Amino acid sequence: MAQPPVADAQLIARVLVHDDRHAFSELVRRYQSAVRATLRRLTAGNHALADDLAQETFLLAYRNLKTFRQEARFSTWLYRIATNAFLADARKRKEVLLGDTEATVADDDEQGTPQTGNSGSDHTRSANLRMDLERALAVLSDGERAAIVQCYHNDLSHEEAAYVLNCPLGTVKTHLLRGKLKLRAQLAAWAPDGQEADHG
Amino acid sequence: MDDRSQVRTADDDWLDAVLRDEGREHRARYLADDGFTARIATALPAPATLPAWRKPVIAVLWTVAAGGVALALPGAVADATHEVVRMLSRQPVSLADIAASVVALGMASWAAAAIALRSD
Repeated sequence: MAQPPVADAQLIARVLVHDDRHAFSELVRRYQSAVRATLRRLTAGNHALADDLAQETFLLAYRNLKTFRQEARFSTWLYRIATNAFLADARKRKEVLLGDTEATVADDDEQGTPQTGNSGSDHTRSANLRMDLERALAVLSDGERAAIVQCYHNDLSHEEAAYVLNCPLGTVKTHLLRGKLKLRAQLAAWAPDGQEADHG
Repeated sequence: MDDRSQVRTADDDWLDAVLRDEGREHRARYLADDGFTARIATALPAPATLPAWRKPVIAVLWTVAAGGVALALPGAVADATHEVVRMLSRQPVSLADIAASVVALGMASWAAAAIALRSD
């Protein structure tokens, strides 16, 4: 008979008390997918950078595990570390990549004409929408994208997102609001008939 | 009416629906480990173990230090030794005294070990 999985709290205690590397590896195995997928979203699909940041996230989590007070879920705490790592990295790259980013956005604008896929099958339409959404998310600021990813992709409440983003609740709401305004503009071609016109 | 509801229009519903659908798919997707966990395990800092040579080296250093003091202050060491022998020979030592001394020495050793480990 299969044994029930050990609770996160027990694994964390083993790491803290006995420096149990196997227990920590089990925690990594449980959350690697969620953390890497979140970072892929945050880095706008840069898988190599996302995996580097995920590795940094877990190493930081190991080093700072004793500061984890269980006030949030372990996954939420990991999202917080991952988001901090992403934002710190983005700040570092910003100066170097500023010119490139503008060029990339311009390129996307040229080739990224929304493919509403109305003529194709539902599957094609859904795939096209997903691609357009990915492109549109890449246009958002780092803070706006992080807020959208935490609230929609990771299904966190606004309060949890504020904890993850390490900012006031009002800032999260502002990021969400502005992010959605930009997304709506980017994805205007996907709006049901008449609704975009209403919005101006 | 807050800021959020002020901009909530009909088209916000379709955008919300798109984002929620995408979020559901995102959470349902599982990224294969592909050696990621193993890479993390090898990148973890080495466990803090004390080197095997540490104890004998410390014992030798203490012996050298004690020898140095004995050579530098032969009179003081001789006086102290005589005094200790004199005190012990004059006063009968009970089992309780021995036990108390052992406990005191033990506590001092543990405290020193704890401080040394913590500073590592």
